[in-house]
Amino acid sequence: MKRANRILTILIFVFLYIPMAVLIVASFNEGKDLTTFEGFTWNQYAELFRDETLLGLLGNSVLIALLSTGISVALGTMAAVGIHSLKPKMRSVVMSLTNIPMTNPDIVTGVSLSLLFVFVGSGLLGQRESLNFWTLLIAHVTFGLPYVILNVMPKLQQMDSSLTDAAMDLGCTPMQAFFKVTLHEIMPGILAGGIMAFTMSLDDFVISYFVTGSGFVTLPVEIYTYTKKPIPPKVYAMFTLLFLLIAVLMVGMNLMQLRAEKKKLDTRPVSKGWQIARRCIAGALVIALVVGCGFLLITNKNDQVVINVYNWGMNIADGTDETLDIIAAFEEQTGIKVNYSTYESNEVLYSKLKNGGISVDVIIPSDYMIDRMIAEDMLEELNFDNIPNFSYVDEQFHNPAYDPENKYSVPYTWGTLGILYNTKYVDEADVTGWELMWNEKYAGKILMIDNSRDAFGIAQYLLGYDVNTMDKSELQACADKLAEQRPLVQQYVMDQIYSTMENEEAYIAAYYAGDCMLMMEENEDLAFYLPEHQGFNLFTDAMCIPKGSQEKAAAEAFINFLCDPEISGANMDYICYASPISAAKEHMEDYLAESEIVYPDPEVQEKGSAYAYLSEETTRLVESLYQRATKTTENADSDDAPKTVPYIIIGVVFVGIAGALLLTGKKRKRKY
Amino acid sequence: MSKELIRLRDLTMEFDGERILDSINLYINDHEFLTLLGPSGCGKTTTLRIIGGFLTPTAGTVTFDGKCINDVPPYDRQINTVFQRYALFPHLNVFDNIAFGLRVAKCPKEEINERVNRMLEIVSLKGYGHRNVASLSGGQQQRVAIARALVNEPKVLLLDEPLAALDLRLRKDMQNELKRIQQATGITFVYVTHDQEEALSMSDTVVVMDKGRIQQIGKPEDIYNEPKNAFVADFIGESNILDGTMLADYKVKFFGRTFECVDKGFAPNEPVDVVIRPEDIDIVAPEQGHLVGTVTSITFKGLNYDIIVEFKGFKWLIQTTDYCAEGSTIGIRLNPEDIHIMRKSEYSGMFGDYSSYSAEYDELTEDADEDEE
Repeated sequence: MKRANRILTILIFVFLYIPMAVLIVASFNEGKDLTTFEGFTWNQYAELFRDETLLGLLGNSVLIALLSTGISVALGTMAAVGIHSLKPKMRSVVMSLTNIPMTNPDIVTGVSLSLLFVFVGSGLLGQRESLNFWTLLIAHVTFGLPYVILNVMPKLQQMDSSLTDAAMDLGCTPMQAFFKVTLHEIMPGILAGGIMAFTMSLDDFVISYFVTGSGFVTLPVEIYTYTKKPIPPKVYAMFTLLFLLIAVLMVGMNLMQLRAEKKKLDTRPVSKGWQIARRCIAGALVIALVVGCGFLLITNKNDQVVINVYNWGMNIADGTDETLDIIAAFEEQTGIKVNYSTYESNEVLYSKLKNGGISVDVIIPSDYMIDRMIAEDMLEELNFDNIPNFSYVDEQFHNPAYDPENKYSVPYTWGTLGILYNTKYVDEADVTGWELMWNEKYAGKILMIDNSRDAFGIAQYLLGYDVNTMDKSELQACADKLAEQRPLVQQYVMDQIYSTMENEEAYIAAYYAGDCMLMMEENEDLAFYLPEHQGFNLFTDAMCIPKGSQEKAAAEAFINFLCDPEISGANMDYICYASPISAAKEHMEDYLAESEIVYPDPEVQEKGSAYAYLSEETTRLVESLYQRATKTTENADSDDAPKTVPYIIIGVVFVGIAGALLLTGKKRKRKY
Repeated sequence: MSKELIRLRDLTMEFDGERILDSINLYINDHEFLTLLGPSGCGKTTTLRIIGGFLTPTAGTVTFDGKCINDVPPYDRQINTVFQRYALFPHLNVFDNIAFGLRVAKCPKEEINERVNRMLEIVSLKGYGHRNVASLSGGQQQRVAIARALVNEPKVLLLDEPLAALDLRLRKDMQNELKRIQQATGITFVYVTHDQEEALSMSDTVVVMDKGRIQQIGKPEDIYNEPKNAFVADFIGESNILDGTMLADYKVKFFGRTFECVDKGFAPNEPVDVVIRPEDIDIVAPEQGHLVGTVTSITFKGLNYDIIVEFKGFKWLIQTTDYCAEGSTIGIRLNPEDIHIMRKSEYSGMFGDYSSYSAEYDELTEDADEDEE
């Protein structure tokens, strides 16, 4: 029995810690691939400490965590003392009220906080940017506070109340009594609560995501936007360090408690050295906090021109991997400061701008989204006098379909969507067009791109429809085609495509040319194919200035800077997409400039077509058809689901009420 | 003997509609050792906490040196308290605990050192200054608590059952110690206890309380020898309490017999309570006795035997050094000074009958007292 217990305990620990172990091992892996360990290296850590962006983000997270913990601890302790002085009945009511925010789903807290901040900030105070550092801080205090109260309350209840009486008896005012006596008694609770609030703040993503503006971003939120490329291994290194930091904190806290227990029974004098050391540590923490705040206030209160740039994750060269740090170069040249933050999809960008929580000066959406934004009057007309470098942009990118008069946008990158396949397993004779994605010979080895617009685009090219069709029967036919493909598909993927294709777990995938380039560098057997005769998507991301920008001239200077051929070339070295500026090719690495994948021949380019904005109704139809074709079980009667939902809700509510009645009934019985 | 320091006037205290103190009137003299004595729930600790400033009375006033101090917070009163469970600060060592009050008052460092070390000597804890308080024994902790209060040189020291948690032996030592400290410092002590022996042996004045009211105030001897009612008679030592009739001055009738006594001033034929202390009764041969009864039980108590004797259906407790066999018939004699007469009160008939007497009875009541507050 005992042995069984022990084995079970070990199993539970293995279960709990295996994920962390894998992460730690990965952080020391020489190869980029997760599945094979190619040797031990410190390189990821070295790279991490060279990456100022990542360290800056980590700094942001730690700063927010420290500040929010400090405020939570102060407020929470005061609240706990207040609650403790209430009558027992009232006390338990208030305690359950403070516990609710803790059990509330994060997403509910996040959305409601975001609504509140936008309402108060933009609505009442007329702020340009209602979501900022302070809203993030308030949000973190909101969810940290209950943890402090929850940990301090039991300590107050355990404390001998005559201790405060004794302090007052000896001349302390109630305030002095609190600081000289009560505080010492409840300190373990405060520490435990503070550490919990700190860790919660450090790893919070969901709530932060909704209340983050464009100026100040924490690490987890930023990592989430790294969806275009796989997570770089240096991030594993950072997570390992974070995990160790938290582990050390927790173990340290436990040791301190053990020490305190032991000390109580110890007859030896309390060591003066330890006392001084403790005071020094506490002092250092306070000073760090104050300096951090001060630093933040100073950097915020600059008279410098500041522009907010909102871009895709990992979509600008940032100085890592021996690339040029473009933002730093811009700041140095112009003296304009850039607040840089990222989003993970066109739709997120759209909703953030629509909600009005953020103030942005430069955005880089894709073609069809620009179309939509122009239609909805969300973009400023650009003053091309401020963008002389626009002359470098190739003629073919002037006046694009999404911006026919070329008033609102300057192209940033472009690329194609094609098929990546493994020449070792795929017969060249089969590589005839998009139908390769439907070839039953490779059933289970096909990866389909996981987003509705691209998936429908592929089906449309295959079936010969217009890629911007809004005809319902044609869209239904596309959906049927996708449903037909479903049994052959191994996975619907975005990011995961990297490891799966590189490791030859799948042979065929549809993806963006620039990313395919990167994968081909890792595995020589991979090849890229564009079905020219059927057509393919040629997409463009372009720089725009949204309505409401306060620094339009500076934003235009930024756009102009990015159109400099030298800068654009250096930028493409990092992003691996194609530049619309041919002159940039001279400034990028040869393999990129000469790649036919990144820069297909002009004749080939002409076969590609761009997505336009479909009506909102069509967008929704495409999304739901896509979900049904690829995610739900076959033959499911599509009309059934919506009808049953209300019944399920009513059923749940009914059961809930019945349960509540049953419970209160029991209580009543017990009373008598 | 000396001037009045504290006066409680019509002090009344209510918690949630329940009356805890009912019109307490009391004065405390300077340099006095005054004890509030009573069973649990009698209001003695509440009275002490009001004097200390931790509770505000519902009605009535507390005056200190002639000034009303109802609204003066504890930290502004020249009064210090020794708490029931010591209430030493666990995060401070012995020296820092004692120095606490002086540091709050911003005394110079040298003076603190000097005064704390002198206090450590007074409470016989020299050399314990650096010790952690949790490592001390109960008696040592108690002395730290006393030193911590006394070092501030208060006018009055309040002590809330300070010895309740100590074992018997230590309690006796500490009683002497406290009395010695009180006499040495001349500080007024207000002492709360439920232990009547402790109250009698230490106090200048004893205040017996029950049900939120003062039952009797007096010197220990007076309280013992001249209890005012059946409650006091029973609570202070053991008493046999009988119904009697005062025929005239110095003449009382009970058990159908007239006895001489030393009391006077009652109306003719007034019904009274007659108190006879168990140790005052002389046992004689049956034929020589005023009364004759049968021994129903005998318990050895160390110094003496407790015997229960039945007289005409009424059981008395008698303390004697002579052994009397169970079932034997004995006679008793009562001298006039052994008989104490009290007026009838609400407590009449509630005490003084040993019909349900058992040896464990004492211990049971004492345990119950420990639960107070």
